[in-house]
Amino acid sequence: MRNVYTVAQVNSYIKNMFTQDFMLQSIFVRGEVSNCKYHSSGHIYFTLKDEKGMIACVMFAGNRGGLTFRMEEGQQIVAGGTINVYERDGKYQMYAEQIVLDGAGVLNERYERLKNELLERGMFSDAYKQPIPKYIRTLGVVTAPTGAAVRDIINIATRRNPYIRIILFPAVVQGDAAASSIVQGIRALEMRKVDAMIVGRGGGSLEDLWAFNEEEVAQAVFDCSIPIISAVGHETDTTICDFVADLRAPTPSAAAELAVFDMGALDKQLGEYASAMNGAMEYHLERKRTALQKLKMQLGYLSPINQIREKRTFALKLEEGIQDAMERLLTKKRHEMELYVEKLKGLSPLDKLKQGFSHTSNEEGRTITKVSQVAPGDRISIYVSDGKVNAVVETTEKREDGR
Amino acid sequence: MADKAKKENSNEQAFPLEQAFEQLEDVIDRLQDNGISLENAFSEYEKGMKLLKQCNEAIDRVEKQVLMISESGELCEFE
Repeated sequence: MRNVYTVAQVNSYIKNMFTQDFMLQSIFVRGEVSNCKYHSSGHIYFTLKDEKGMIACVMFAGNRGGLTFRMEEGQQIVAGGTINVYERDGKYQMYAEQIVLDGAGVLNERYERLKNELLERGMFSDAYKQPIPKYIRTLGVVTAPTGAAVRDIINIATRRNPYIRIILFPAVVQGDAAASSIVQGIRALEMRKVDAMIVGRGGGSLEDLWAFNEEEVAQAVFDCSIPIISAVGHETDTTICDFVADLRAPTPSAAAELAVFDMGALDKQLGEYASAMNGAMEYHLERKRTALQKLKMQLGYLSPINQIREKRTFALKLEEGIQDAMERLLTKKRHEMELYVEKLKGLSPLDKLKQGFSHTSNEEGRTITKVSQVAPGDRISIYVSDGKVNAVVETTEKREDGR
Repeated sequence: MADKAKKENSNEQAFPLEQAFEQLEDVIDRLQDNGISLENAFSEYEKGMKLLKQCNEAIDRVEKQVLMISESGELCEFE
């Protein structure tokens, strides 16, 4: 008889084998949850199964921090932990320490790892971001040739600018071939010298979008000399490609809006420029016109016609002045004359007549001053103050002293 | 000679609309300055109108087809 062992010895031996196995000490197992029991002690007992088999699992209460959701029958999960032997039953089972919903878990970890790595390498730095040119003529698109994403991009881009040239690289965006296809697309469009590029796809599960989290794609986006807008999935989906791209758009439609300028707005802008310039010019012209009008009026004042009119008025004034002066002179002279008249009056013979003197003249009107001038019988006129007396000389007497 | 041709060519291909817009804004600013002389206003206006014309010409107003890069690397119409 060979060596014989107890059951406990065998189980202990097997347990030791499990414990020493490096892989079994840290393993991730994917499967569907069944027979799930949350025990009152806090432990969770369940079975993971797939088409070909099943494995018993337990998550101890102390490890419940590794589970963030309520496990339910039928869920696809990935459990991480150790696999070991339960000696009492002679059964091996999984001791789960971490449980995540399938896909999300493993991929999330890869995602976070790559994200941190690229972040540390500085590939997300703003310093490397190129601005998206505002007015592009040619848009490159790397996405699947079928589906909503490409339609949305084409519709929105051509609606905003019917004259935009779009070059599509029909990429595989899902599955094993996706990453290299996307990289190829980026390079092909770079060679075509498009003005800007949209790289993306429509929404999907994390696995569907996975290619956009591959380092290969991130590197190609980073290396591309042409500005790239990343547009992967919906607003809530964030991929490595989004971080490394020059601009992240929440959706493919939004990417088209960001990439392609609105022709209507441009036309409107140009129109506004034109009307601003026309307005300013019209204003200047109007101002100059007004100034010209003013000068014209000023010039009018200075015209020879006005000068002549003015001179004529001046001459008239002078004439009036002369007349006035003349008049004044005449008045003055008349006045002087009157003074003389008064003076003369004092000397007038008439006055003497008034005083009783008279004046005698002969028939010829000659003044008689000497006796010898008359003879008796001569007719003489004696002038007195109020008329004349006609008389006839009777006699004459000559005074002896001769005077 | 070659340089000039190249320059003209690149101008034609990618007239910098944004730069033109900046220049247009400047022109308008100067035009709206009350102190500008009429001569300068005319030359600014002419410059602005020329820029506008260039802007319009820079936009190639021909509707484009969407092209696709085929497997052989050729461009073909997409639809």
